[in-house]
Amino acid sequence: MGSLRLDHVSKDYITEGNPAPALRDVSLEFRAGEFVAVAGRSGCGKSTLLNLAGVMDFPTSGTVWLDGVSTSTLSDAALTRVRREKVGFIFQSFQLLPTLSVIENVELPLMLAGSAESRKVASERLHWVEMDAYANRMPHQLSGGQMQRVAIARALANAPSLLLADEPTGNLDNATSAVILALLRRIADERETIVLMATHSLEAAANTDTVVRLQDGRVESVSAMKKLAGERLTGSY
Amino acid sequence: MPAVELFYRLILRPLRQEPLRAALTVLAVALGVAAVLSIELAGQAAAGSFRSSLDTLTGSANLEVTAAGGIPPEVFARLATEPYALKLHPRIEDYGVISDQGGRTVPILGMDLISEAGPESTASATEPQPDFRLNESVWVSAGLGYKNGDRVRLLINDTASDFTVRGLLNEKAGDVILMDLAPATQLFRRGGRLDRILIEAPPTRPAEEWESLLRQNLPDGVTIARQGSETEENRRMLEAFRWNLRVLSYVSLAVGAFLIYNTISVSVVRRRFEIGILRAVGTPRAAILAGFLGEAACFGVFGGLAGIALGRLLAEGAVKLVASTVASLYFSSRPAPILLTWETAVLGIIIGIGISLVSALGPAWEASRVAPVEAMARGRREHQVSVHRWRTATIAAILAVAAWIASQQSAVHGKPLFGYLCALLSIVASALLIPVWVSGLAAITGGFIGRLFGVEALLATRSLAGSLRRTSVLVGALSTAIAVLTAVGIMVGSFRETVLVWMDDILQADLFLSPAVPAGADRHPTMAAGIPAQLAQLPEVEAIDQLRTYEVRYQGLPVTLGGMDARVGGGRRRRSFLSGAPAAQVFQELIGSDAVIVSEPFANKHGARAGDTLTLSLGGTLRSFRILDVYYDYSSERGVILMDRGTLLRYLPGAEPSNVAVYLKPGVSLEDGQRAVERVIAGRRIAVSRNRDLRDQAIEVFDRTFAITYVLEALAVFVAITGVGGALVALVIDRRREFALLHFVGASNRQIRRIILFEAGLLGALANIAGVTLGFILSLLLIRVINKQSFGWTIQFHWPLLVLLSALSIVYVATVLSALYPARVATRLVPIEVIHEE
Repeated sequence: MGSLRLDHVSKDYITEGNPAPALRDVSLEFRAGEFVAVAGRSGCGKSTLLNLAGVMDFPTSGTVWLDGVSTSTLSDAALTRVRREKVGFIFQSFQLLPTLSVIENVELPLMLAGSAESRKVASERLHWVEMDAYANRMPHQLSGGQMQRVAIARALANAPSLLLADEPTGNLDNATSAVILALLRRIADERETIVLMATHSLEAAANTDTVVRLQDGRVESVSAMKKLAGERLTGSY
Repeated sequence: MPAVELFYRLILRPLRQEPLRAALTVLAVALGVAAVLSIELAGQAAAGSFRSSLDTLTGSANLEVTAAGGIPPEVFARLATEPYALKLHPRIEDYGVISDQGGRTVPILGMDLISEAGPESTASATEPQPDFRLNESVWVSAGLGYKNGDRVRLLINDTASDFTVRGLLNEKAGDVILMDLAPATQLFRRGGRLDRILIEAPPTRPAEEWESLLRQNLPDGVTIARQGSETEENRRMLEAFRWNLRVLSYVSLAVGAFLIYNTISVSVVRRRFEIGILRAVGTPRAAILAGFLGEAACFGVFGGLAGIALGRLLAEGAVKLVASTVASLYFSSRPAPILLTWETAVLGIIIGIGISLVSALGPAWEASRVAPVEAMARGRREHQVSVHRWRTATIAAILAVAAWIASQQSAVHGKPLFGYLCALLSIVASALLIPVWVSGLAAITGGFIGRLFGVEALLATRSLAGSLRRTSVLVGALSTAIAVLTAVGIMVGSFRETVLVWMDDILQADLFLSPAVPAGADRHPTMAAGIPAQLAQLPEVEAIDQLRTYEVRYQGLPVTLGGMDARVGGGRRRRSFLSGAPAAQVFQELIGSDAVIVSEPFANKHGARAGDTLTLSLGGTLRSFRILDVYYDYSSERGVILMDRGTLLRYLPGAEPSNVAVYLKPGVSLEDGQRAVERVIAGRRIAVSRNRDLRDQAIEVFDRTFAITYVLEALAVFVAITGVGGALVALVIDRRREFALLHFVGASNRQIRRIILFEAGLLGALANIAGVTLGFILSLLLIRVINKQSFGWTIQFHWPLLVLLSALSIVYVATVLSALYPARVATRLVPIEVIHEE
């Protein structure tokens, strides 16, 4: 069962020689199957939080525990392995490789991990996101929503315990956004995956189990969706 | 000046942010310019020094009289009795070796010092002393390091003689030794004939009038011309050689052009979004065009300036190689100082800017055509290239047909201009075919390569096919350099093999004798006349073959005239004739008759064929000879006419041989034979070479001759590999999003590095295959058209497999290694920052 814990995590970036804090003393814990929205204004530290959780970056202080392992003690090779096997990323601008077909994009992490059954697994993931009919198309032949579904299939390729989604609906219309959010919901529910989604949108946050609000790098609040139920769930940060 | 400010902000400032890429592009231009300039400067220096020492000592003479095989004494007497106020300066001109200066070869000039009252007219103020013996006196150039009264030993033909230095010649004269006519005539075995008579005609008539007036009273075989015209003819003779070197030097420039094209293309592609914004805010198309052309011009200016300095430096090395070839193949020459004039410097800048602007015109024009909306929509550019690739393939096919037609044309004024055009068209056609070739091969092999070498190879293949434009330019640049490497490699290898086979054919004797002074294409030192007869009487010797050679002029060009003993046959002397006739039969016909055989280069240069009649000026008279046949010969580019020794002696009574070949009796060892021969020539400065030694020496000269071509090829390949390295850095920067994403989906640094190295490996492989294919076509062009039209030699095609494989492997490894730095750049990208930028 996957788990993610951030223990007094702070992150400073150096700007013109001076430290600029991006996250300050953040402590959070998420369980398998939890769908979490990380909300807040631009520059509040949402992406930094996702990057630290996904071991793409290291905290200045504090510890990130993924599946019970402290990531700060791992070597570069072990971190690469963690990213491959335990973490999946999806982005606002989809980030599919334009030179690879749909199925090849999904196969990519599997092949990088040396999987012998990459094609079979990729087909299964595409089927899961209902994109198997488009397997041999090139990315530029897809709509935005289709591209994001392929990106999700790719992120799920290695059956990660943590899925990080940075503004996954930022480039999509409302109807398509709803489809993508429902898909993320399914991932959390059916695949027991922790889904951590950075978003500006309160409508997007409405689909999640937990909303973490950040302000100036600090956790302003952590709310279960039941508590938010009475609030006005429209608009954005 | 807002335009300048904008140019700085939008074009120059971004360049400063990528100093490595900018520097590599400037280096590519600089190396191209340097290659062209160094060959130009070296060619000028090597050709410009011809006879400079002797020409400096011509005083105010305005006409000169010459005759093949020497001017008979009666011609001088006739001129001396002309009723005009002519000043005549009879001269002997040849070369000798200073024994105590490590065998330094210097021009020796024999002048009538008594009638000219000493060499004061041309020398510094050192007056001849009245008490010296003129026959043992010389005047030497100050640069040779002697002073008055020093003794100097000179080796002339096969004899060493001692002289006393009586005066020093001024610096202007260059390296030269002056002696009286009488000892010069004797030492050089001229038998009373003169090499040249300089005439100072009074200015009462124009030189042309004097020329025609005096010609009326001269025998047909004696030539009168304005002084210096022969030097000019010699320079013209060098033209084909210099042209070919020049063309080869342009290859580096062409490869550099590919890379400038690539740099500006990358610049346009990367700033396409900016271009869209600029167009949207009202920037005219012309300004966009000017901006990118301005960027290219900056590369041109800096590359040109660096190229001038580098070219001057390279010229130092090139001049030695060129001069050595000129001396071996054309005429005696000492390299003149390399002169980097303002004109040459300006030429360098013009070449730099010109090639940059021409290369950048395509991408700059495309940038100016960009519609604002289109520019701001990503992802279309590569699609456009793939849409156009069949159009470019069609153009390539048309150019290939044009190239074939050009290859069938004759030389223009002795220059294979259509051959060069064919080469150019072939290179352009090949470059245009590259997109089809790359995408086709990637489509066919992509899956296979992926399965065989893993995901990194698959990504590399897809990436190359995906960025077809850039890949095509890189493959085009590298394949052009490889093609030239292959073509010249095959041509030189084929030529070498042909020469080896030819030498096996002609070097049948066991020992070869020649005066121990360096011979050249225009130097024919001789041995004492009695030596062949003495050698023939040795019990170890079965037969002797002697050859006497002269420099003569035919149709205004220098030619080697030889007299050989046609009776020496019996299957000993082998020659291959174009007609296929047996050598023994042809030599039999030559005996005693007014007939000649001519070498293939002579036949091609002068349009001569078997059955034609040649008219030669020999010893002051004109004689006609029938051409019996044309033989394959690789000893002289200027061409050779051979006749029977008996026939030659009828017209030029010089019994002294230039070379003697000795055939030993069966069972006589080479050592015994050589010892016997050396006893005969004891005391004389004659070199005895064995068959094998001579062959090795000839191959050494051959390899030295082509050393310059290897240097130029290496330069072109270096430019291409530098460009590949630079372009891969640009490619990494341009695809940073992709590499960042790969980090996000779990790629390790090792895998990213492998992708870049695979890309370089694939680029190298594609370029090698395309380059070798084009190189094979160009080699046929070089062998069958350009060489034939420039030099007249038939070369048998031969694959120098080992040399080619070694060279191509080195190029391939260097290409892959050039990706190490770009790979390092790719692994150092910060994925979060890159994705955040996007």
